[in-house]
Amino acid sequence: MFPILVYGGPSTGKTSVTLQVFRHLNRPFIYSSCITCYSPRILFESILNQLLFHRKDSGHSYSSLKRCERPSDFVNYLREALENVITNLKGNSGKVSSKMSGRPDGTMVYLVFDNLECVRDWDKSSTILPFLFNLNDILKMPEVGLIFISNTSPDTYYLNIGYAEPIPLYFPDYTEDDLRHIFMANQTNSRLYASFLDVVLRPFCRVTRQVDELAAAFSSLFKKYSEPLSDKEVAPNEEMKRRLFSHIRPHIASALNETFQVRSQPLLKAETNQETKKTNSSRMPGVREDFDKIDFHMSTSAKYLLISAFLASRNPATLDASLFDSTGVSDSHKRKRKASEKSMDQKEMAEQELLMKGPGTFPLERLLAIFQCITSLAEDSLDEEESHELTVEGGSRGLMSDVLLQLSSLCNANFIIKGGSCPLEGSTRYRTAVSEDLALKVARSLKFPLSKYLYRR
Amino acid sequence: MGREKEKEKPSEKALNLLRSRLSDPNFIFRPLSDSPDSNYSKLKFIISTSVTEACNNSILLLGPRGSGKVAVLELVLSDLLQQYPEAISVIRLNGLLHSDDNCALKEIARQLCMEHQLLFSKVASFDDNSQFMIAMLRECGLAHKTIIFVLDEFDFFAQGKQRLLYSLLDAMQSVNSQAVVIGVSCRLDVDQLLEKRVRSRFSHRKLLFLSPSKEDTERFMEHILSLPMDSSLPHNYAAEFNGRLKKILSDERFKELIDTYLSFNFTIGHLVRFLFQAVSYMDLNAGFLSLGNFKTALSSNQRQLKLESIRDCSVLELYMMVCMKRLEVKEQTSYNFYSVMTEYKSIHDSFQTSDYYAANVCLRAFEHLLQCQLISFIDNKGHNQSVEFRPVKLLISSAELHQGLKSYQQCPAILLKLMDR
Repeated sequence: MFPILVYGGPSTGKTSVTLQVFRHLNRPFIYSSCITCYSPRILFESILNQLLFHRKDSGHSYSSLKRCERPSDFVNYLREALENVITNLKGNSGKVSSKMSGRPDGTMVYLVFDNLECVRDWDKSSTILPFLFNLNDILKMPEVGLIFISNTSPDTYYLNIGYAEPIPLYFPDYTEDDLRHIFMANQTNSRLYASFLDVVLRPFCRVTRQVDELAAAFSSLFKKYSEPLSDKEVAPNEEMKRRLFSHIRPHIASALNETFQVRSQPLLKAETNQETKKTNSSRMPGVREDFDKIDFHMSTSAKYLLISAFLASRNPATLDASLFDSTGVSDSHKRKRKASEKSMDQKEMAEQELLMKGPGTFPLERLLAIFQCITSLAEDSLDEEESHELTVEGGSRGLMSDVLLQLSSLCNANFIIKGGSCPLEGSTRYRTAVSEDLALKVARSLKFPLSKYLYRR
Repeated sequence: MGREKEKEKPSEKALNLLRSRLSDPNFIFRPLSDSPDSNYSKLKFIISTSVTEACNNSILLLGPRGSGKVAVLELVLSDLLQQYPEAISVIRLNGLLHSDDNCALKEIARQLCMEHQLLFSKVASFDDNSQFMIAMLRECGLAHKTIIFVLDEFDFFAQGKQRLLYSLLDAMQSVNSQAVVIGVSCRLDVDQLLEKRVRSRFSHRKLLFLSPSKEDTERFMEHILSLPMDSSLPHNYAAEFNGRLKKILSDERFKELIDTYLSFNFTIGHLVRFLFQAVSYMDLNAGFLSLGNFKTALSSNQRQLKLESIRDCSVLELYMMVCMKRLEVKEQTSYNFYSVMTEYKSIHDSFQTSDYYAANVCLRAFEHLLQCQLISFIDNKGHNQSVEFRPVKLLISSAELHQGLKSYQQCPAILLKLMDR
C-alpha cells in the first residue's frame, strides 16, 4: 500500500473517521499522535510499546520496554516487532474465523501518525520528517501501511531532500448546511433548536466555521435563548419565534465578540447574582458584563509587579526619573507644543514603529525600582485610609524576597517573557506580554492611576 | 451452524491482485529490465564479474526518485544470491539513518554478526567496530566471499568528513579483501561531493536510470493492468476485463491524460502511484476499470491547495488577508497583528461594514490563518515575543487571493472591491 496523507482544517473529523474506519473493518492499527509524543524518542518508544503490547505502569516505573532514540535503532526494533505481529496475524487468519474470536482481520498492520504538522516545529524536524515520509521505502515490508493525518496541506511539507509523496486525501471544512446538520443531531427539541440555528448560524459562520468554537458559543447562547420559555419541550410557532428572537438579539452581538473562556469558580457565583440584577435593570446592548473585572485571582504584590512590568516595557527608561521621584508623585504635565504637519507625520511613524516593535525590554533592577516607587505610594495611601486591611506585606524587606518569587511565577504564566540578554552586561532582560486592556483592568482593581504614568507620544 | 465463508467476488479478487502487483517493486521492474542493454544487465554483469574474478569494485546508481534504482538492485542481488549462494553477503546502509559514522559502523557490525551468526555486543566502541569490519573483510577475502555494501541515499554519506566512505574504500585497496560498494542516490552530481582522497579511490562507474520511452510506458501499463488468464479468476471475466482495458488504453483521451500526468511526474514510481489510485477507485459493482477512474485519480493529484485553504476560511479571516494585502500594496513590507488591526479598523471606519469584531476574536482568526500556513512568521527565532507582535508575511500571491475570493460562496462585495483597488 502507498502511504496516505489525510489533511484538512481542524475539527473536520479526520482522526475520528480514520479510527472509526479501522474499528469497523476490524484491522489492527497503531495510533500515535505527534502532540503527545513531542520528541522523536517518545514517538518511537510509544510505537514500539504498542507493537509489543507493553503498557507503561507503575510496576516498571512507567518506563518503555526498549530505549530507542535514533532512527536506525527504531527501524531495527520496528522490523522485528512488525515481523512478529505479522506472523501472528497470518497464523490467526488461517485458523478460526476472526469474527468469532474477536481477533483482528487481515494480515496488514497500519501505523497512524496524527497531528503531523507538530513535527515541523521539532528541533530535529529536518531529519525526522524525511525519515517518516520515507519509512515505507526503508522498511520495504508490503504488509505495513502508513497513514499520516495533518492539519496543513501537503505543500507545507516540501523538504530539501524529496521523498515519495503520499497519496493526498482532503477533508474539506463544513459548509453552513453541514454545520446545521451537525448541530441538529442529538437535540431533544429539534424544532426549537432549528429556530435557534436560523437566528445564530449565519452571523457566527462569518466569524469562524470550526465546529468546536461554534459549539462552545452555541451551548451558552441556547440556554439564554430558551430562558423565557417555561416549557422547554414545546415546538415554537411564528409569534413565539419572534419573541425569542427579540430576546436573544442583544446577546448575539456580544457573544460574537467573545472567545471561549474558562472562568474561575468564585466569579461564577458572583455572575449568577449579577444576572438576576441585570434582568431587572435595562442594559445597553453590546456592553460586556465583565468590563471592569479580571477573571482570575492574583495577589496584590503580583498585581503591582505586573503594573510595574507594563510601565517598564511601555515607557522609555529616560522618563523614569521624572515620572517617579522619591515621593512617588508623578508630574504629568506635558509641554504643549503646536502640532505642526511634520510632527504629525512623525507621530504617525512613531506610532507605527511602536506597533511593530512591541513592548520593550527592561532589566530586573529597573523593574524593582519602579515596583518600590509604586508600592511606597500605595502604602502611603493605604495607611491614610484603613489600617487593618493590610494586604501588602508590611515592611519593604519582607517585600523583596516575595517579589522575586512572584516574578518567576509571572514568567511561568507568560505575563512576563524573558527577552534576550543585554549585549554589554550579559544579564537577562524581561519583556511584558500583557495587553493594555489587561493592565488597565489590573490597575483598576487596585485603584492605581495607570494612565497618569503611561507615556504617550 | 456452519462457518460462513464469504465468497469473494471476482472483481474484489481482481482489485486485490492489481493492488498487490502495483505495490510490489519486483513485479514492476522485472519486465522493464529484460533487454540486454538495460541497467539490470549491466549491473548484473559488473557485480558477477567482481564475484567470480575476486576483485574489488565500486559503482554509483543515479536517477530521480522512483526510477527503480533500488528495485533493480534488489532484483540483481536476489538473482546473484541464487546463482552463488555461498559467495555473497550483503550489508545494507541508509543515509537517512546511518549518516553518523558511529551509527554506520555499529550497523555494519550488527549485520555482519547476523550474517555469520556471531554475537553482537551493543557497547562496542567505534574503534572496536572498525577493527571488526576490517578483520571480517580480510577473512571473507581469504574465504573468497564477496561482501556487497549497498549505501542508499549516498549523498548523506558524502556530508561531513566522509570518514566511513574513506575507511570502506581504503579497506578495499588491500590485497585480501573482496568487496563491492554500490552507492544509490538521487543527486546526479553526487560524485562531485566526494573528497579528493575518496574520489581517487572510487572507480567512476555510474549507471543512470532514466524514464522509459513512451512505447515502453504503454506496454508496461498494459502488462501490469491486465489480469492473467490462468489464475483463479473466472475466464470470461478476465477476458472481458482485459478487452475493456485495451479499449481504454488506446483511447485518445486516456493518452492525453497520461501525457498530462507524465509531463509533471515522469518516473515509473509516480506512474505506479497514479495507477494505484486509479485502480482503487474502481467500482466494485461494475467490476471493470473505466476512464472515469483515471480522471478522478488525475484530479486528486492536481488539487489547488491554497485555493482550498481559502475556501475553508471564514469571512473574518478573509478580511484579515485582504488587510494584509493592502498593507503590502502600501509598501509596508513587514506587518504584525496590531498593524493589521489598525488597517481593519480604518476599513471599517471608511466603509461602515457590518463585520467588525473585537480584538480577541480577530486574534483567534489570525492564529487560524497561521495554522493553515496562509501566513507565517518572518523569522523563527522570535519566541520571546508574543504572537501579536511578531512580524508575519502572506504566503499567497494576490492573484491567488483574488481567485479564492471570487470562488468563495457569499463573499462580501466589499472585499472584492478592496482587492481591485
